[in-house]
Amino acid sequence: MATVQDIKRRVRSIRNTRKITRALELVAAAKLKRAQSRIEDMRPYADRMLELMAGTARASSSVRGLPLLQTHEQEQAVAIVPLTGDRGLAGAFNSQILRRALALERTLRGEGKQVRWVGVGRRGVGSLRFRRLELAAEFTGFTDQPRYADAQAIAHRVAELYTEAEVDRVILVYNHFESALVQQVTVQQILPLSEDLLESNAEERQDDAMRGDFIFEPEPEQILERLLPVYLETELYRALLESAASEHGARMTAMRNASRNAGELIDTLTLAMNRARQAEITQEILEVVAGADAQTG
Amino acid sequence: MADETHKFDLSLVTPDGPAFEGEVEMIVVPGAAGEIGVLARHAPLIATLKAGSTRVYLNRDTDDVREYATGAGFFKVEQDRVIALVDDAVPANEIDQGRAREQLETAQRELELVERGESNADRWQLEQRIRHAENQLAVSGRN
Repeated sequence: MATVQDIKRRVRSIRNTRKITRALELVAAAKLKRAQSRIEDMRPYADRMLELMAGTARASSSVRGLPLLQTHEQEQAVAIVPLTGDRGLAGAFNSQILRRALALERTLRGEGKQVRWVGVGRRGVGSLRFRRLELAAEFTGFTDQPRYADAQAIAHRVAELYTEAEVDRVILVYNHFESALVQQVTVQQILPLSEDLLESNAEERQDDAMRGDFIFEPEPEQILERLLPVYLETELYRALLESAASEHGARMTAMRNASRNAGELIDTLTLAMNRARQAEITQEILEVVAGADAQTG
Repeated sequence: MADETHKFDLSLVTPDGPAFEGEVEMIVVPGAAGEIGVLARHAPLIATLKAGSTRVYLNRDTDDVREYATGAGFFKVEQDRVIALVDDAVPANEIDQGRAREQLETAQRELELVERGESNADRWQLEQRIRHAENQLAVSGRN
């Protein structure tokens, strides 16, 4: 049986670990709250952007020829963009993304298509590199608190890959935030953009008729050319924010579980320690008694 | 008899939330082709904006003006409801000159490395950072 000292040492070590996991849980909880409010803050911008696109499209003579809308005739190469975090200790957050992304790659390869990778987040980049996969771009260092500029950088790169026909479709794989316990792996095509984005309903057309024509500076076609890339940035930003919230939620839950497990271990070990201590005392008593017996007997 | 000035609703919105929302008398924005000034009852308009200074006049009589260093974006005027969608909006009095200068220098240095082929950082992103930093310095330099 292990000595009391051995068990004491273990308990001390686990207590220290638990301090760390508790701290990480609290930090993750605070970051989660902030991440959630940033998702809300984005909504007005995203909604207005859609309105603006539909309104400008209505006035455009043609939406053909906009590179981000155009479907490529043949689909030869597809870019996969998995959104991962920079750090671990987040439960299944990173692994479930990579698993899905790699499964997607296998399917596409089975269809005879080439796959290009755009890594976001150190865990993803590291994992893809480990598998000797070539990366068309990598973006790290911001995933737990993404800024709009980060979304712009990624959007710029994937738009470039698409318009230069290095890829014919771009697919995003990220964790959609449902709650601290549930993060749903979501696969979303971001390029080419869907023409539905430019559609208006009857009410909007009526408003148009009543209000009269907009003045456009410059021409609506040129405005649309700027709008579409910005819309892509918006979509990427939204996904990055969702992923950040998911990461903090997953980490909070993982750390909470770790703290709880540590607590249970401490309880079990403390019981074992007490038994060991009692056994030692009993042993000492027996030795003293035997010794005393030997002397008198 | 006081001349009743007409106001209109303005929203200056960024991806991180609205930077300004309220009733104003006039707004001047940096349109791609030149500055655009808008008063109440302006004709409906949709325009693109470049990085520059946006000035919001809440009350022209009392000189109540708010200035922002804004990034590129879009502008829409519609029946007394005006929306400016920009990728960033920093109130002029909150611009940190030191930080803006630092950002400018870092980005310029990085851009030089890219041009020499010694770095494969994203060139476009660096150019945007330079433009925004220069914009902030220009706006705060005037105040």
